[in-house]
Amino acid sequence: MLFNSLTFIVFFVIVVMLYWSIASWPLRKNILVVASYIFYGAWNPPFAALLFSTTAMDFWLGRQIGKAKGSRAKRAWLVASVCMNLSMLGFFKYGNFLLQNFQWLVARVGIIYQPPHLDILLPVGISFYTFHSLSYTLDIYRGVLQPTRSLRDFILAVSFFPQLVAGPIVRAGDFLPQLVRPQPLRTGQFLWGLALMTLGLFEKIVLADTLLSGSADRVFGYAGPLVALDSWAGVIAFAGQIFFDFAGYSTCAIGAALTLGFHLKDNFRFPYAAIGFSDFWRRWHISLSTFLRDYLYIPLGGNQVRPFRAALNLVIVMFLGGLWHGAAWTFVVWGLLHGSYLVIERICRILFEDRSWANNLATRILAGVATYAAVSIAWVYFRASDFTIASRMLAGMFGQHAHGDAILSTREMLQVAFVTVGMISVHCSLRDSNIETAVARLPRWAVTAAWALMACAIILTQGASNAFIYFQF
Amino acid sequence: MRSFISNFKERLRLPRLFFRKPSRAEQIHGGPPMEFERPIPPIQWRGITVVVVVIVIAASAAWELYVRSIGYGPTLNDGEDLWTLRRRSVTPESVVIIGDSRGWYDVDLDEMEKGLGKRPIQLAMGGGCGYPVLADLAKDETFHGTIICSVVPRLFFAPPGTPPMERGEKAVKRFHSQTPAQRASQYFAFPLEERVAFLKQEELTLADLLQRLPIPNRPGALVPPRLPPYFGTIDRERRARMIEECARPGSELAKRIQQIWIPLFTPPPPPSYIPREQFMAKIGEAIGGRFRDTAAAIEKIRARGGKIVFVRFPHSGGLKELEDRDTPREKTWDPLLKMTGAPGIYYSDFPDLSGFNCPEWSHLSAGDSVEFSKRLVPHLRAALKM
Repeated sequence: MLFNSLTFIVFFVIVVMLYWSIASWPLRKNILVVASYIFYGAWNPPFAALLFSTTAMDFWLGRQIGKAKGSRAKRAWLVASVCMNLSMLGFFKYGNFLLQNFQWLVARVGIIYQPPHLDILLPVGISFYTFHSLSYTLDIYRGVLQPTRSLRDFILAVSFFPQLVAGPIVRAGDFLPQLVRPQPLRTGQFLWGLALMTLGLFEKIVLADTLLSGSADRVFGYAGPLVALDSWAGVIAFAGQIFFDFAGYSTCAIGAALTLGFHLKDNFRFPYAAIGFSDFWRRWHISLSTFLRDYLYIPLGGNQVRPFRAALNLVIVMFLGGLWHGAAWTFVVWGLLHGSYLVIERICRILFEDRSWANNLATRILAGVATYAAVSIAWVYFRASDFTIASRMLAGMFGQHAHGDAILSTREMLQVAFVTVGMISVHCSLRDSNIETAVARLPRWAVTAAWALMACAIILTQGASNAFIYFQF
Repeated sequence: MRSFISNFKERLRLPRLFFRKPSRAEQIHGGPPMEFERPIPPIQWRGITVVVVVIVIAASAAWELYVRSIGYGPTLNDGEDLWTLRRRSVTPESVVIIGDSRGWYDVDLDEMEKGLGKRPIQLAMGGGCGYPVLADLAKDETFHGTIICSVVPRLFFAPPGTPPMERGEKAVKRFHSQTPAQRASQYFAFPLEERVAFLKQEELTLADLLQRLPIPNRPGALVPPRLPPYFGTIDRERRARMIEECARPGSELAKRIQQIWIPLFTPPPPPSYIPREQFMAKIGEAIGGRFRDTAAAIEKIRARGGKIVFVRFPHSGGLKELEDRDTPREKTWDPLLKMTGAPGIYYSDFPDLSGFNCPEWSHLSAGDSVEFSKRLVPHLRAALKM
């Protein structure tokens, strides 16, 4: 079920009304469990059974880790949980990818192998709910979380519908404590939740789908060479599109959770105002980057090891982060590019951190522009469906197609320019703040006007139910 | 004795991934916080919400009144979900109309039901190619009904990857993958779209309004031509009817649409990145492939006892001249009938079907579509040997 669909509006109104009209806390949680499974099953009912089975397994494995006396037994149960979750993810998401690569590999040594094409339907949001569930057993193993005794609470922590299919990746340790006692209905919180949902839908429907996606799709879908202006416009449009698409979903999820009395953390913090790549990853898809940091980077040794090993750790983490996004080498290259950026940044820090010019305004502005440009270049590999398209795009961007075609209308380019300038201005002005502070500072008429304008724009756009990009992950 | 895990780790030279205990500092600071509460901006939310609701309702009402005052009326949007609902109602013996917008606007379902004894299911689509739907019906082993296929050569022979083909392919894909949520959304949309005039997805959205801005393009920019404005309504059976404003002889709307058909039906220049001869050879190959694929699909349907008839619906004015010049009958229609062995009804071959005028050059008015359908029925019965 998409947030930008009529079905969701009807579903959400019914759930909210039922939820707040019932006094019993256990019954309210039951309603949320049923609602979350309806939300998920409305996409493909049989996959709700898969979601339940992996959740139930992790619940049981979590208890085993908690009960195990020795560290060896704990590890064994953890390995079982990791293997179970990753094999599910591997089969559904990477099955065909692995077979194709195996075919390519054996062909290098002269063996002709034709693998069967597995007709596997990817369960929506499997990458997200696998990580929700996995965080539970990992945290119990790490000793930072006690196993819950309630299967219902754990099911709700994994499948809570606002964050179920496209994040943020909410760790069980963040969510389970909120299920201990009921939150009272607070008018301000409820209405702020609705305002956040409006903002999220505005970002998705109006900014991403209406003003940016057309240009990005046309440029990346064009089969011929493009001039530099159109190539850059397409890439910049995609940079904005993916931000508004994903941040829009996260904002909707945070808002929907708030209306039900739950608190989810920020998933984006004005990332295009980042100065440097480590700063970028502290601002972009925060729930994934902190997940990878805590469960992968730190266990690998983090930065408490020799510099070369620390650099390698970064590259490994970003490689896997790239692969998490999709079963294609283009995603891997995207991840590796970011890994390389992080390593280069670290070297620069070591070399230049103490210089007087390193922290002056001009350097910071230049570093910010360079970060945005490098991140945009990496998006080429994220968006392009193959390396031919990516190479053609990069060649166009760097002036190799001086006699290429121009395919974007002036209106499309103006849309991309206006939205991008607006987005970067907002990100820069709020980079050290947050949206709540910004809204609290605004005069009341400005909040009213902004909210009404966003709602009117959503109605005018009629949200033709484009799926969120991150659903495919 | 060393543990299995330790040995395993050592043998594979695995890093300390998941096998290291968190440090004390990590246990305190590296783990997730157990309590978290989002800040809520401390402002008068109740009052603001009331004002926002009033503004949104007032603005929506004003917009609705305005679009009605300039000639728009409520109608359903012809999306993939509505198409899928109709596709789902196809039974093994159904009469199905497929193809482009002429088969959509020019056929009256009541008259066809009277004449053929069965109510046809309308699966033709505006700007669409009939082939993906034909191929899908051929793949459906249970289907052995009757297909009435409208042919506009530029659309029917559209190569893969072009908008007419994609339109058909997307609809077929949605039929096979429609989720319960998408289906429900369509049912929720019915009462809204049937009452609210501004809910018009290909005409009155923000994107469409922006497209109308008179901003000149760069010289040589390969910008796609505009699509025609609103000129018809559809109902839950997907019966399309031209609105009165467009059907009125000499109306400004009809004239505007006539001028939009010309660039839309004019072949785009060959792309700059492929030699012209190579491109033309590719197009020729694609058209040849479409002839062969169509014949194969029809063969499958016939083998199960199904029937098909191709229909060329009326068109007129400058658009007819353009189509006759660029896609002449002897290179498109005649070989199609020859290669497939299917019967065909070319409107101009029959005096009783020839005298109709298309107000905007491409489709019949709602009134004429009823009369045309009445006259078409005997020809269909003869062609289908009913």
